[in-house]
Amino acid sequence: MKELLLDNISDNFVFDKNENFFINNFDGEKDIKITLNEDVESSLSMLSLSGFKGNINIKINKNSRLEIYYADFAKNLSKTNVSVSLEEGAKVIFHLASLTEDNSNKSFTVSVDHDAINTYSLIDNYGVVKGNGKLVFDGTSYIKNGSAKSKTRQSAKIMVFDEKSIGIAKPVLKIDENDIEASHGAVVGKISDEHLFYLMSRGLSEEKAKTLITYGYLKPIMNGFDENVQKTIEQLIEGRM
Amino acid sequence: MSTLVIKDLCAEVEGKPILKGVNLTLSKGETVALLGPNGHGKSTLLNVLMGHPKYKVTKGEVLLDGKNILEMSTDERSKLGLFLGMQNPSEVPGVINSDFLRAAINEHSEKPVSTYQFYKLLDSATKEVKMPFDLATRGLNEGFSGGEKKRNEILQLLLLNPEIAFLDEIDSGLDVDALQIVADVICKLEDKGMGFLVISHYARLYDLIKPTRAVVMINGRIAVDAGPEVAQRIDKQGYEWIKTELGIEVAKEEKDMNTVSIGSCAVKESIK
Repeated sequence: MKELLLDNISDNFVFDKNENFFINNFDGEKDIKITLNEDVESSLSMLSLSGFKGNINIKINKNSRLEIYYADFAKNLSKTNVSVSLEEGAKVIFHLASLTEDNSNKSFTVSVDHDAINTYSLIDNYGVVKGNGKLVFDGTSYIKNGSAKSKTRQSAKIMVFDEKSIGIAKPVLKIDENDIEASHGAVVGKISDEHLFYLMSRGLSEEKAKTLITYGYLKPIMNGFDENVQKTIEQLIEGRM
Repeated sequence: MSTLVIKDLCAEVEGKPILKGVNLTLSKGETVALLGPNGHGKSTLLNVLMGHPKYKVTKGEVLLDGKNILEMSTDERSKLGLFLGMQNPSEVPGVINSDFLRAAINEHSEKPVSTYQFYKLLDSATKEVKMPFDLATRGLNEGFSGGEKKRNEILQLLLLNPEIAFLDEIDSGLDVDALQIVADVICKLEDKGMGFLVISHYARLYDLIKPTRAVVMINGRIAVDAGPEVAQRIDKQGYEWIKTELGIEVAKEEKDMNTVSIGSCAVKESIK
Protein backbone atom coordinates (compact mmCIF):
# COMPACT_ATOMS: atom_id res chain seq x y z
CA MET A 1 0.00 0.00 0.00
CA LYS A 2 1.48 3.35 -1.01
CA GLU A 3 1.28 6.10 1.57
CA LEU A 4 0.21 9.56 0.47
CA LEU A 5 0.29 12.84 2.33
CA LEU A 6 -2.93 14.79 2.19
CA ASP A 7 -0.95 18.02 1.66
CA ASN A 8 0.75 16.56 -1.40
CA ILE A 9 -2.45 15.73 -3.20
CA SER A 10 -2.72 18.12 -6.12
CA ASP A 11 -5.90 19.79 -7.31
CA ASN A 12 -6.59 16.88 -9.58
CA PHE A 13 -5.03 13.66 -8.46
CA VAL A 14 -5.02 11.04 -11.21
CA PHE A 15 -4.96 7.27 -10.62
CA ASP A 16 -3.52 5.91 -13.84
CA LYS A 17 -2.51 2.40 -12.79
CA ASN A 18 -3.65 -0.32 -10.42
CA GLU A 19 -2.39 0.82 -7.05
CA ASN A 20 -3.60 0.95 -3.46
CA PHE A 21 -3.18 4.17 -1.52
CA PHE A 22 -3.24 5.02 2.15
CA ILE A 23 -3.60 8.49 3.66
CA ASN A 24 -2.71 8.69 7.33
CA ASN A 25 -3.87 11.81 9.17
CA PHE A 26 -6.73 12.52 6.79
CA ASP A 27 -7.38 15.75 8.67
CA GLY A 28 -7.88 19.45 8.12
CA GLU A 29 -9.83 21.56 5.67
CA LYS A 30 -9.39 20.78 2.02
CA ASP A 31 -11.20 20.05 -1.24
CA ILE A 32 -9.90 17.11 -3.24
CA LYS A 33 -10.47 15.98 -6.79
CA ILE A 34 -9.59 12.44 -7.85
CA THR A 35 -9.81 10.94 -11.31
CA LEU A 36 -9.48 7.28 -12.20
CA ASN A 37 -8.40 6.77 -15.78
CA GLU A 38 -9.97 4.02 -17.86
CA ASP A 39 -9.41 0.38 -16.86
CA VAL A 40 -7.83 1.11 -13.48
CA GLU A 41 -8.53 -0.80 -10.26
CA SER A 42 -7.46 0.97 -7.11
CA SER A 43 -8.24 1.42 -3.48
CA LEU A 44 -7.94 4.41 -1.22
CA SER A 45 -7.81 4.03 2.57
CA MET A 46 -8.03 7.02 4.86
CA LEU A 47 -7.59 7.33 8.61
CA SER A 48 -8.89 10.49 10.21
CA LEU A 49 -7.81 11.37 13.74
CA SER A 50 -8.60 15.01 14.33
CA GLY A 51 -11.26 15.65 11.69
CA PHE A 52 -11.70 16.40 8.01
CA LYS A 53 -13.81 19.14 6.51
CA GLY A 54 -14.24 19.40 2.76
CA ASN A 55 -15.44 18.03 -0.54
CA ILE A 56 -14.07 14.96 -2.22
CA ASN A 57 -14.97 14.77 -5.90
CA ILE A 58 -14.23 11.52 -7.62
CA LYS A 59 -14.61 10.70 -11.28
CA ILE A 60 -14.30 7.08 -12.28
CA ASN A 61 -13.79 6.51 -15.97
CA LYS A 62 -14.83 3.60 -18.13
CA ASN A 63 -14.43 0.10 -16.66
CA SER A 64 -12.51 1.30 -13.62
CA ARG A 65 -13.12 0.38 -10.01
CA LEU A 66 -12.35 2.23 -6.79
CA GLU A 67 -12.80 0.86 -3.28
CA ILE A 68 -12.65 3.41 -0.49
CA TYR A 69 -12.11 2.73 3.22
CA TYR A 70 -12.69 5.72 5.44
CA ALA A 71 -11.96 5.22 9.14
CA ASP A 72 -13.10 8.25 11.10
CA PHE A 73 -11.91 8.40 14.70
CA ALA A 74 -11.73 12.16 14.84
CA LYS A 75 -12.22 13.68 18.27
CA ASN A 76 -14.37 16.59 17.23
CA LEU A 77 -15.79 17.67 13.96
CA SER A 78 -15.95 15.98 10.61
CA LYS A 79 -17.91 17.26 7.68
CA THR A 80 -17.21 15.29 4.58
CA ASN A 81 -18.98 15.51 1.25
CA VAL A 82 -18.15 12.78 -1.19
CA SER A 83 -19.50 12.92 -4.74
CA VAL A 84 -18.70 10.23 -7.21
CA SER A 85 -19.53 10.12 -10.89
CA LEU A 86 -19.42 6.85 -12.77
CA GLU A 87 -18.77 6.33 -16.47
CA GLU A 88 -19.73 3.20 -18.38
CA GLY A 89 -18.86 -0.01 -16.49
CA ALA A 90 -17.36 1.94 -13.56
CA LYS A 91 -17.68 0.74 -9.97
CA VAL A 92 -17.33 2.38 -6.58
CA ILE A 93 -17.45 0.70 -3.19
CA PHE A 94 -17.40 2.98 -0.17
CA HIS A 95 -16.90 1.77 3.40
CA LEU A 96 -17.10 4.18 6.30
CA ALA A 97 -16.71 3.57 10.02
CA SER A 98 -17.17 6.53 12.33
CA LEU A 99 -16.78 6.69 16.08
CA THR A 100 -18.50 9.87 17.22
CA GLU A 101 -17.80 10.85 20.77
CA ASP A 102 -19.39 13.09 23.36
CA ASN A 103 -19.80 16.71 22.19
CA SER A 104 -18.70 16.00 18.64
CA ASN A 105 -20.73 16.71 15.56
CA LYS A 106 -20.16 14.85 12.34
CA SER A 107 -21.79 14.50 8.99
CA PHE A 108 -20.91 12.36 6.02
CA THR A 109 -22.67 12.78 2.71
CA VAL A 110 -21.87 10.21 0.07
CA SER A 111 -23.56 10.69 -3.29
CA VAL A 112 -23.06 8.78 -6.50
CA ASP A 113 -24.12 9.80 -9.99
CA HIS A 114 -24.57 6.87 -12.32
CA ASP A 115 -23.92 8.69 -15.59
CA ALA A 116 -23.71 5.70 -17.93
CA ILE A 117 -24.83 2.12 -18.43
CA ASN A 118 -23.63 -0.86 -16.42
CA THR A 119 -22.36 1.07 -13.40
CA TYR A 120 -22.20 -0.10 -9.80
CA SER A 121 -22.11 1.60 -6.40
CA LEU A 122 -22.20 0.28 -2.86
CA ILE A 123 -22.24 2.70 0.06
CA ASP A 124 -21.79 0.98 3.41
CA ASN A 125 -21.71 3.33 6.39
CA TYR A 126 -21.31 2.26 10.01
CA GLY A 127 -21.35 4.61 12.97
CA VAL A 128 -21.27 4.64 16.76
CA VAL A 129 -22.40 7.71 18.71
CA LYS A 130 -21.64 8.36 22.36
CA GLY A 131 -22.78 10.94 24.90
CA ASN A 132 -23.93 14.21 23.37
CA GLY A 133 -22.49 13.34 19.97
CA LYS A 134 -24.34 13.78 16.72
CA LEU A 135 -23.75 11.79 13.56
CA VAL A 136 -25.49 12.18 10.22
CA PHE A 137 -25.17 9.81 7.29
CA ASP A 138 -26.84 10.87 4.11
CA GLY A 139 -26.35 10.83 0.40
CA THR A 140 -28.14 10.13 -2.83
CA SER A 141 -27.57 7.44 -5.38
CA TYR A 142 -28.78 8.88 -8.67
CA ILE A 143 -29.26 6.55 -11.60
CA LYS A 144 -29.70 8.84 -14.57
CA ASN A 145 -31.77 8.29 -17.67
CA GLY A 146 -29.72 6.12 -20.02
CA SER A 147 -27.85 4.28 -17.26
CA ALA A 148 -29.58 0.91 -17.69
CA LYS A 149 -28.12 -2.25 -16.10
CA SER A 150 -26.77 -0.19 -13.22
CA LYS A 151 -26.87 -1.28 -9.60
CA THR A 152 -26.72 0.70 -6.40
CA ARG A 153 -27.06 0.13 -2.68
CA GLN A 154 -27.03 2.76 0.06
CA SER A 155 -26.75 1.37 3.56
CA ALA A 156 -26.40 3.30 6.82
CA LYS A 157 -26.24 1.82 10.31
CA ILE A 158 -25.80 3.80 13.50
CA MET A 159 -25.52 2.49 17.03
CA VAL A 160 -26.36 5.08 19.70
CA PHE A 161 -24.92 4.63 23.18
CA ASP A 162 -26.70 7.18 25.33
CA GLU A 163 -30.09 8.84 25.66
CA LYS A 164 -28.65 12.13 24.37
CA SER A 165 -26.80 10.62 21.41
CA ILE A 166 -28.18 11.60 18.03
CA GLY A 167 -27.90 9.40 14.96
CA ILE A 168 -29.54 10.31 11.65
CA ALA A 169 -29.44 8.08 8.58
CA LYS A 170 -30.97 9.23 5.29
CA PRO A 171 -29.93 7.04 2.37
CA VAL A 172 -31.77 8.30 -0.72
CA LEU A 173 -32.32 6.76 -4.13
CA LYS A 174 -33.16 8.75 -7.24
CA ILE A 175 -33.99 6.64 -10.25
CA ASP A 176 -34.63 7.84 -13.81
CA GLU A 177 -34.14 4.56 -15.62
CA ASN A 178 -35.77 1.15 -15.87
CA ASP A 179 -33.87 -2.12 -15.85
CA ILE A 180 -31.70 -1.28 -12.84
CA GLU A 181 -31.30 -2.60 -9.30
CA ALA A 182 -31.45 -0.21 -6.38
CA SER A 183 -31.89 -0.66 -2.66
CA HIS A 184 -31.32 1.30 0.51
CA GLY A 185 -31.42 0.55 4.22
CA ALA A 186 -31.09 2.53 7.42
CA VAL A 187 -30.85 1.33 11.01
CA VAL A 188 -30.46 3.51 14.08
CA GLY A 189 -30.64 1.85 17.47
CA LYS A 190 -28.96 1.09 20.75
CA ILE A 191 -26.95 -1.99 21.73
CA SER A 192 -29.30 -4.89 22.27
CA ASP A 193 -30.01 -5.62 25.96
CA GLU A 194 -29.95 -9.32 25.12
CA HIS A 195 -26.43 -9.06 23.64
CA LEU A 196 -25.19 -7.14 26.68
CA PHE A 197 -26.80 -9.60 29.08
CA TYR A 198 -25.27 -12.53 27.23
CA LEU A 199 -21.75 -11.14 27.40
CA MET A 200 -22.14 -9.95 30.99
CA SER A 201 -23.48 -13.34 32.08
CA ARG A 202 -20.02 -14.66 31.21
CA GLY A 203 -18.32 -12.21 33.54
CA LEU A 204 -17.59 -9.31 31.17
CA SER A 205 -18.23 -5.90 32.70
CA GLU A 206 -20.71 -3.64 30.93
CA GLU A 207 -17.82 -1.49 29.64
CA LYS A 208 -15.88 -4.47 28.35
CA ALA A 209 -18.99 -5.96 26.74
CA LYS A 210 -19.78 -2.67 24.99
CA THR A 211 -16.20 -2.35 23.77
CA LEU A 212 -16.29 -5.84 22.32
CA ILE A 213 -19.62 -5.23 20.59
CA THR A 214 -18.49 -1.84 19.22
CA TYR A 215 -15.24 -3.31 18.05
CA GLY A 216 -17.14 -6.02 16.22
CA TYR A 217 -19.40 -3.42 14.69
CA LEU A 218 -16.64 -1.17 13.35
CA LYS A 219 -14.21 -3.94 12.51
CA PRO A 220 -15.14 -4.52 8.83
CA ILE A 221 -13.26 -1.27 8.03
CA MET A 222 -10.01 -3.01 9.06
CA ASN A 223 -9.97 -4.95 5.79
CA GLY A 224 -8.78 -1.81 4.03
CA PHE A 225 -5.66 -1.26 6.13
CA ASP A 226 -2.25 -2.82 6.66
CA GLU A 227 -1.61 -4.75 9.83
CA ASN A 228 0.22 -1.96 11.67
CA VAL A 229 -2.64 0.47 10.96
CA GLN A 230 -5.14 -2.19 12.05
CA LYS A 231 -3.36 -2.27 15.41
CA THR A 232 -3.66 1.52 15.65
CA ILE A 233 -7.39 1.34 14.90
CA GLU A 234 -7.85 -1.45 17.44
CA GLN A 235 -6.16 0.67 20.10
CA LEU A 236 -8.22 3.71 19.10
CA ILE A 237 -11.46 1.78 19.60
CA GLU A 238 -10.35 0.36 22.94
CA GLY A 239 -9.00 3.69 24.12
CA ARG A 240 -12.10 5.65 23.19
CA MET A 241 -14.64 3.30 24.73
CA MET B 1 -19.46 -25.81 49.65
CA SER B 2 -21.56 -23.29 47.79
CA THR B 3 -25.24 -23.11 48.59
CA LEU B 4 -27.81 -21.05 46.77
CA VAL B 5 -30.85 -20.12 48.85
CA ILE B 6 -33.88 -18.57 47.16
CA LYS B 7 -36.36 -17.05 49.62
CA ASP B 8 -39.85 -15.87 48.73
CA LEU B 9 -38.69 -14.57 45.35
CA CYS B 10 -41.23 -12.54 43.40
CA ALA B 11 -40.54 -11.04 39.99
CA GLU B 12 -42.44 -9.45 37.16
CA VAL B 13 -41.95 -8.66 33.51
CA GLU B 14 -43.49 -5.47 32.11
CA GLY B 15 -45.72 -5.21 35.18
CA LYS B 16 -46.97 -8.77 34.93
CA PRO B 17 -46.09 -10.95 37.95
CA ILE B 18 -44.46 -14.25 36.97
CA LEU B 19 -42.63 -15.47 40.06
CA LYS B 20 -44.94 -15.43 43.07
CA GLY B 21 -42.85 -16.48 46.04
CA VAL B 22 -40.24 -19.04 44.99
CA ASN B 23 -38.48 -20.94 47.76
CA LEU B 24 -35.66 -23.26 46.76
CA THR B 25 -32.29 -24.34 48.07
CA LEU B 26 -29.58 -25.77 45.86
CA SER B 27 -26.17 -26.91 46.99
CA LYS B 28 -23.03 -27.55 45.04
CA GLY B 29 -22.90 -31.23 44.17
CA GLU B 30 -26.65 -31.47 43.58
CA THR B 31 -28.35 -31.73 40.22
CA VAL B 32 -31.89 -30.47 40.41
CA ALA B 33 -34.39 -31.03 37.61
CA LEU B 34 -36.65 -27.99 37.21
CA LEU B 35 -39.96 -29.03 35.71
CA GLY B 36 -43.30 -27.39 35.09
CA PRO B 37 -45.78 -26.55 32.36
CA ASN B 38 -44.98 -23.81 29.84
CA GLY B 39 -45.49 -20.28 31.04
CA HIS B 40 -45.22 -21.01 34.77
CA GLY B 41 -41.91 -19.25 35.37
CA LYS B 42 -39.06 -21.75 34.95
CA SER B 43 -37.04 -19.71 32.46
CA THR B 44 -37.96 -16.51 34.30
CA LEU B 45 -36.45 -17.94 37.49
CA LEU B 46 -33.14 -18.75 35.78
CA ASN B 47 -33.01 -15.34 34.09
CA VAL B 48 -33.80 -13.55 37.36
CA LEU B 49 -31.06 -15.50 39.12
CA MET B 50 -28.60 -14.26 36.49
CA GLY B 51 -29.95 -10.68 36.56
CA HIS B 52 -31.61 -10.26 33.18
CA PRO B 53 -32.61 -6.57 32.81
CA LYS B 54 -36.09 -7.44 31.47
CA TYR B 55 -37.23 -8.86 34.81
CA LYS B 56 -37.92 -6.83 37.92
CA VAL B 57 -37.58 -8.43 41.33
CA THR B 58 -40.37 -7.18 43.57
CA LYS B 59 -39.75 -9.23 46.70
CA GLY B 60 -37.50 -11.80 48.29
CA GLU B 61 -33.81 -12.57 48.33
CA VAL B 62 -31.31 -14.92 46.77
CA LEU B 63 -28.25 -15.78 48.81
CA LEU B 64 -25.13 -17.49 47.54
CA ASP B 65 -23.16 -18.50 50.61
CA GLY B 66 -24.92 -15.77 52.55
CA LYS B 67 -24.30 -12.99 50.00
CA ASN B 68 -27.39 -11.43 48.43
CA ILE B 69 -26.76 -11.74 44.71
CA LEU B 70 -29.80 -9.67 43.76
CA GLU B 71 -27.78 -6.56 44.62
CA MET B 72 -25.06 -7.59 42.19
CA SER B 73 -24.63 -6.94 38.49
CA THR B 74 -24.80 -9.85 36.07
CA ASP B 75 -21.02 -9.96 35.58
CA GLU B 76 -20.44 -10.00 39.34
CA ARG B 77 -22.76 -12.98 39.66
CA SER B 78 -20.80 -14.76 36.95
CA LYS B 79 -17.52 -14.05 38.71
CA LEU B 80 -19.01 -15.38 41.93
CA GLY B 81 -19.53 -18.74 40.22
CA LEU B 82 -22.96 -18.72 38.60
CA PHE B 83 -23.56 -19.63 34.99
CA LEU B 84 -26.62 -19.61 32.74
CA GLY B 85 -26.75 -21.83 29.67
CA MET B 86 -29.32 -20.01 27.59
CA GLN B 87 -32.34 -21.39 25.81
CA ASN B 88 -31.76 -19.08 22.83
CA PRO B 89 -28.17 -17.83 22.91
CA SER B 90 -27.86 -14.45 21.18
CA GLU B 91 -26.11 -14.07 17.87
CA VAL B 92 -23.73 -11.15 18.34
CA PRO B 93 -22.51 -10.04 14.92
CA GLY B 94 -18.88 -9.03 14.58
CA VAL B 95 -17.82 -10.31 18.00
CA ILE B 96 -15.42 -13.18 17.35
CA ASN B 97 -16.24 -16.23 19.45
CA SER B 98 -12.63 -16.79 20.55
CA ASP B 99 -12.15 -13.09 21.48
CA PHE B 100 -15.27 -13.33 23.60
CA LEU B 101 -14.24 -16.63 25.20
CA ARG B 102 -10.79 -15.30 26.01
CA ALA B 103 -12.22 -12.13 27.56
CA ALA B 104 -14.60 -14.28 29.62
CA ILE B 105 -11.81 -16.59 30.81
CA ASN B 106 -9.68 -13.59 31.74
CA GLU B 107 -12.50 -12.20 33.87
CA HIS B 108 -12.50 -15.47 35.78
CA SER B 109 -8.74 -15.73 36.23
CA GLU B 110 -6.44 -13.82 38.50
CA LYS B 111 -4.16 -12.87 35.65
CA PRO B 112 -4.85 -12.91 31.90
CA VAL B 113 -4.15 -16.19 30.13
CA SER B 114 -1.41 -16.23 27.53
CA THR B 115 -2.29 -16.86 23.90
CA TYR B 116 -0.72 -20.31 24.15
CA GLN B 117 -2.60 -21.24 27.32
CA PHE B 118 -5.84 -19.99 25.82
CA TYR B 119 -5.51 -22.03 22.64
CA LYS B 120 -4.63 -25.11 24.67
CA LEU B 121 -7.75 -24.63 26.79
CA LEU B 122 -9.90 -23.92 23.76
CA ASP B 123 -8.49 -26.86 21.83
CA SER B 124 -9.22 -29.36 24.58
CA ALA B 125 -12.69 -27.92 25.31
CA THR B 126 -13.75 -27.89 21.64
CA LYS B 127 -12.59 -31.51 21.35
CA GLU B 128 -14.61 -32.43 24.41
CA VAL B 129 -17.84 -31.00 22.99
CA LYS B 130 -16.84 -32.26 19.52
CA MET B 131 -17.19 -28.80 18.09
CA PRO B 132 -15.20 -27.93 14.96
CA PHE B 133 -12.39 -25.59 16.01
CA ASP B 134 -13.28 -23.11 13.27
CA LEU B 135 -16.58 -22.34 15.03
CA ALA B 136 -14.45 -20.71 17.72
CA THR B 137 -13.00 -18.32 15.18
CA ARG B 138 -16.33 -17.24 13.72
CA GLY B 139 -18.72 -14.52 14.90
CA LEU B 140 -20.33 -15.33 18.27
CA ASN B 141 -23.18 -17.77 17.45
CA GLU B 142 -23.47 -16.02 14.09
CA GLY B 143 -25.01 -18.42 11.60
CA PHE B 144 -24.64 -21.31 14.08
CA SER B 145 -27.27 -24.03 13.88
CA GLY B 146 -29.46 -24.63 16.95
CA GLY B 147 -27.26 -27.55 17.98
CA GLU B 148 -24.03 -25.60 17.47
CA LYS B 149 -25.31 -22.79 19.66
CA LYS B 150 -26.08 -25.25 22.46
CA ARG B 151 -22.65 -26.83 22.15
CA ASN B 152 -21.13 -23.38 22.33
CA GLU B 153 -22.99 -22.89 25.64
CA ILE B 154 -21.55 -26.14 26.98
CA LEU B 155 -18.11 -25.09 25.73
CA GLN B 156 -18.41 -21.91 27.80
CA LEU B 157 -19.57 -23.95 30.79
CA LEU B 158 -16.42 -26.05 30.50
CA LEU B 159 -14.12 -23.06 30.10
CA LEU B 160 -15.61 -20.99 32.93
CA ASN B 161 -16.07 -23.86 35.38
CA PRO B 162 -18.71 -22.25 37.64
CA GLU B 163 -19.84 -23.40 41.08
CA ILE B 164 -23.48 -23.67 40.06
CA ALA B 165 -24.85 -23.81 36.50
CA PHE B 166 -28.39 -23.09 35.36
CA LEU B 167 -29.25 -24.82 32.10
CA ASP B 168 -32.34 -23.70 30.22
CA GLU B 169 -33.50 -26.34 27.74
CA ILE B 170 -29.92 -27.12 26.82
CA ASP B 171 -31.19 -30.26 25.05
CA SER B 172 -33.54 -28.55 22.60
CA GLY B 173 -32.20 -28.55 19.07
CA LEU B 174 -29.72 -31.35 19.77
CA ASP B 175 -29.68 -34.61 17.86
CA VAL B 176 -29.15 -37.90 19.73
CA ASP B 177 -25.36 -37.88 19.36
CA ALA B 178 -25.04 -34.24 20.41
CA LEU B 179 -27.31 -34.87 23.40
CA GLN B 180 -25.01 -37.67 24.52
CA ILE B 181 -21.96 -35.40 24.21
CA VAL B 182 -23.64 -32.65 26.25
CA ALA B 183 -24.83 -35.14 28.87
CA ASP B 184 -21.33 -36.63 29.16
CA VAL B 185 -19.88 -33.19 29.87
CA ILE B 186 -22.56 -32.49 32.48
CA CYS B 187 -21.94 -35.86 34.17
CA LYS B 188 -18.19 -35.18 34.29
CA LEU B 189 -18.78 -31.79 35.88
CA GLU B 190 -21.30 -33.32 38.33
CA ASP B 191 -18.57 -35.72 39.42
CA LYS B 192 -16.30 -32.75 40.02
CA GLY B 193 -18.97 -31.32 42.32
CA MET B 194 -20.57 -28.63 40.17
CA GLY B 195 -24.19 -27.86 41.08
CA PHE B 196 -26.89 -27.86 38.41
CA LEU B 197 -30.42 -26.54 38.04
CA VAL B 198 -31.69 -27.95 34.76
CA ILE B 199 -34.84 -27.20 32.80
CA SER B 200 -35.91 -29.74 30.24
CA HIS B 201 -39.19 -30.96 28.84
CA TYR B 202 -37.78 -34.38 28.02
CA ALA B 203 -36.99 -37.30 30.31
CA ARG B 204 -34.19 -38.34 27.96
CA LEU B 205 -31.78 -35.68 29.24
CA TYR B 206 -32.68 -36.44 32.86
CA ASP B 207 -32.11 -40.17 32.22
CA LEU B 208 -28.60 -39.34 31.13
CA ILE B 209 -27.59 -36.77 33.75
CA LYS B 210 -29.36 -38.42 36.72
CA PRO B 211 -30.70 -35.57 38.85
CA THR B 212 -30.52 -35.90 42.61
CA ARG B 213 -33.81 -34.02 43.07
CA ALA B 214 -36.73 -32.79 41.00
CA VAL B 215 -38.77 -29.65 41.63
CA VAL B 216 -41.95 -28.62 39.84
CA MET B 217 -42.87 -25.03 39.25
CA ILE B 218 -46.57 -24.27 39.12
CA ASN B 219 -48.15 -20.83 39.02
CA GLY B 220 -44.83 -19.10 39.78
CA ARG B 221 -44.04 -21.18 42.87
CA ILE B 222 -42.25 -24.43 43.64
CA ALA B 223 -45.18 -26.80 44.16
CA VAL B 224 -43.25 -30.06 44.43
CA ASP B 225 -39.75 -30.64 45.80
CA ALA B 226 -39.08 -34.36 45.74
CA GLY B 227 -36.87 -37.17 44.50
CA PRO B 228 -35.75 -37.61 40.88
CA GLU B 229 -38.56 -40.14 40.19
CA VAL B 230 -40.93 -37.16 39.81
CA ALA B 231 -39.27 -36.35 36.47
CA GLN B 232 -40.13 -39.84 35.18
CA ARG B 233 -43.69 -39.57 36.45
CA ILE B 234 -44.25 -36.24 34.70
CA ASP B 235 -42.81 -37.68 31.51
CA LYS B 236 -45.41 -40.47 31.62
CA GLN B 237 -48.41 -38.76 33.20
CA GLY B 238 -48.03 -35.04 32.55
CA TYR B 239 -49.08 -32.52 35.23
CA GLU B 240 -52.69 -33.59 35.85
CA TRP B 241 -51.86 -35.53 39.02
CA ILE B 242 -50.59 -32.39 40.71
CA LYS B 243 -54.11 -31.01 40.57
CA THR B 244 -55.79 -34.18 41.86
CA GLU B 245 -53.18 -35.15 44.48
CA LEU B 246 -52.06 -31.76 45.72
CA GLY B 247 -55.20 -29.78 45.02
CA ILE B 248 -53.30 -27.09 43.10
CA GLU B 249 -55.19 -25.57 40.20
CA VAL B 250 -52.71 -25.40 37.30
CA ALA B 251 -53.26 -22.11 35.50
CA LYS B 252 -53.39 -22.42 31.72
CA GLU B 253 -50.81 -20.48 29.75
CA GLU B 254 -52.30 -17.09 29.11
CA LYS B 255 -53.00 -16.28 25.51
CA ASP B 256 -53.22 -12.71 24.28
CA MET B 257 -55.40 -13.65 21.39
CA ASN B 258 -59.12 -14.20 21.60
CA THR B 259 -60.00 -17.89 21.54
CA VAL B 260 -62.62 -17.18 18.90
CA SER B 261 -60.94 -16.63 15.59
CA ILE B 262 -62.07 -16.70 11.98
CA GLY B 263 -63.07 -19.85 10.17
CA SER B 264 -64.74 -23.04 11.31
CA CYS B 265 -63.50 -22.83 14.90
CA ALA B 266 -65.21 -19.50 15.29
CA VAL B 267 -68.43 -20.97 13.94
CA LYS B 268 -68.28 -23.80 16.46
CA GLU B 269 -67.48 -21.40 19.30
CA SER B 270 -70.43 -19.19 18.46
CA ILE B 271 -72.87 -22.13 18.20
CA LYS B 272 -71.91 -23.22 21.74
